[in-house]
Amino acid sequence: MPKLDLVGAINLALAQEMERDERIVLLGEDIGLNGGVFRVTDGLQKRFGCERVVDSPLSESGIIGTSIGLAMAGMRPVPEIQFEGFLGPAYDQLVNQAARCRSRTRGAFTCPMTVRVPIGGGIHAPELHSDSPEAVYAHTPGLKVVMPSRPYDAKGLLLSALRDPDPVIFFEPKRVYRSLKEEVPEEEYTIPIGKAQVVSEGTDLTLIAWGAMVSECLEAIDRLPEEVSIELIDLRTIYPMDVETIVNSVLKTGRAVVVHEAPRTSGFGAEVSSLIQEDCFLSLEAPVQRVTGFDTPMPYYKLEKAYLPDADRIVAGVRDCLAY
Amino acid sequence: MAVADEVAKRAVVTKQNTNGASASLHQAGTNGQSASNDGQIERQRLRLMLLIRRFEERTYQEYSTPRIFADGSKEVKIGGFLHLYSGQEAIAAGTAALFDKSRDYLITGYRCHGASLALGMSPHVAMAELFGRATGCSKGKGGSMHLFDAKVGNLGGHGIVGGQLPLALGTAFAQSYKKTGGVTFCFMGDGAINQGTFNEALNLASLYKAPVIYIVENNGVAMGTQVERHSAEKDLAKRACGYDMPCRNVDGNEIDTVIAEFGKAVDRARAGEGPSYLVANTYRFRGHSTSDPLKYRSKEEAERARQRDPIGLYEARLRDKGLLSDEQLEAITSSVNEEVEEGIRQAEADPNPPLEARFDDALAEKYPYSPK
Repeated sequence: MPKLDLVGAINLALAQEMERDERIVLLGEDIGLNGGVFRVTDGLQKRFGCERVVDSPLSESGIIGTSIGLAMAGMRPVPEIQFEGFLGPAYDQLVNQAARCRSRTRGAFTCPMTVRVPIGGGIHAPELHSDSPEAVYAHTPGLKVVMPSRPYDAKGLLLSALRDPDPVIFFEPKRVYRSLKEEVPEEEYTIPIGKAQVVSEGTDLTLIAWGAMVSECLEAIDRLPEEVSIELIDLRTIYPMDVETIVNSVLKTGRAVVVHEAPRTSGFGAEVSSLIQEDCFLSLEAPVQRVTGFDTPMPYYKLEKAYLPDADRIVAGVRDCLAY
Repeated sequence: MAVADEVAKRAVVTKQNTNGASASLHQAGTNGQSASNDGQIERQRLRLMLLIRRFEERTYQEYSTPRIFADGSKEVKIGGFLHLYSGQEAIAAGTAALFDKSRDYLITGYRCHGASLALGMSPHVAMAELFGRATGCSKGKGGSMHLFDAKVGNLGGHGIVGGQLPLALGTAFAQSYKKTGGVTFCFMGDGAINQGTFNEALNLASLYKAPVIYIVENNGVAMGTQVERHSAEKDLAKRACGYDMPCRNVDGNEIDTVIAEFGKAVDRARAGEGPSYLVANTYRFRGHSTSDPLKYRSKEEAERARQRDPIGLYEARLRDKGLLSDEQLEAITSSVNEEVEEGIRQAEADPNPPLEARFDDALAEKYPYSPK
């Protein structure tokens, strides 16, 4: 079985699904000839031609808008937006058009597209190239939001997204792109959207994370004394959230810490925390803790480490929660 | 607070200018036609282009070489992405010749080092920002795309392609409202003309007769996609035909042409006649960023472009006119090199921003939560 990084796993999933489904068309800035800013679509234009892997001008609104039209006309577009910050110019098309396509037309038209977007910090990039806006899109009814933390999941989740009847924002954590290799089967498999994964089982406390924060949580667990039993949940899909897995875990452990890169206020951790409070109130031994980024834009790389939650801050959050 | 004070001070200066006392500032020897007899102004312009080039090429080296500490550990000196200006110097340096620091504005995209140096930012302050030092123009918290200097009207670099176009309209609106006679220079790459903001900004600018000059630095490629593949209309000057404003191509590698052609647009804007749209055709010698594999162009194309290096062209002209000797060129080059090296030395020795600095400047108020 080949060992692939996140870039390789996504490339493989795209290629395989393009082979299977000729309705799939990729659109984006420098995705063809250059193979994408992170080389995720490398080789696909050569293999599938310029009609299916379309280099577009710097027109994010146009890229998303075109994709919506393609989707409404029965195609399966996969636009790439180079960095999460560049979703800004496409916000209207995404939020006011794509997300409401189904509801506005009462199902007469739908928008099955997968918007691939690199997300998050940790690669020394500045603001607009390091942000984590997943909560913004999770707060948009009509969109699904997915964020894999590892190559194996990326392939399975992407295949599900490509086959989903509705628009999916597929966030790819940049710092995981090349940092982690694992066995990714050649053969086709899917991981359902909306299903979290229990990465490690435990009884004392539930850690909930997604994207690049999952490996930081694993690191934190390593640093904690062995007798502390942590259950780590990788959300994998931000929306629709797998409430059941979270609730079952917290009913068992009685304590929860949510970790995300995004700013704290109105981050998705607030939603997770609130649901736990609603559904696990009588089982809770401590208030739900959040370990998050701060309410500022991403600083330049010298301060990046101090911004992003790391194993130390997660350990501190866990200890606070356990000591309550 | 410091920046706000500087802005206030500049506004006062601006007021005085409306009396006409300094209306001649930009004509005082800065216009192409009124260059000095002994060539001093021309050599200054050459020096500025050489300074930008040297800064960019040294920046590239610094980006590629990690800092090594006494214990053998390493760290990158410049984080993130780096978009170099080499090859496009005549546009920034030509603009500087027309720019009135007391009342004009300049705003640009992410390829912003050239414009900032042209408006007088020192290599030290610019490099300190790239190194993430507290002494950088954005306190070491921005980096390559974040060079700003409020006291001279440098509205700086903007990371979203085309994001700056409507902003330029706004500052021009303010200049017109306050009757300062100031103009706003808005640089963009050829990639930006395909953004929706282009249509909104140019139409509004013309409707409002705003004193803004939209300048396309057409280096022929939007990130990795050449004009032929990104613009339906290959003559980019025609892209602004529908906005009822002058639109024309300019040789962006000839600084004298840049000054003369931009100068006409400046005169028009200062006279209250409204915006212009100029396409300064040029070439960038380096990739879009340092991670650009450059698959879209041949070695031959790049070599051909070097024949029209704006610095080489200007140097040759000054020699022809007898305004530049070997000794003078050598003196200029070594002073430029020394200035850049000294800037790098200082930036290297400067402190990093303090940890608490990460909570500053998101809002005027202090960060509302104690960090956990």
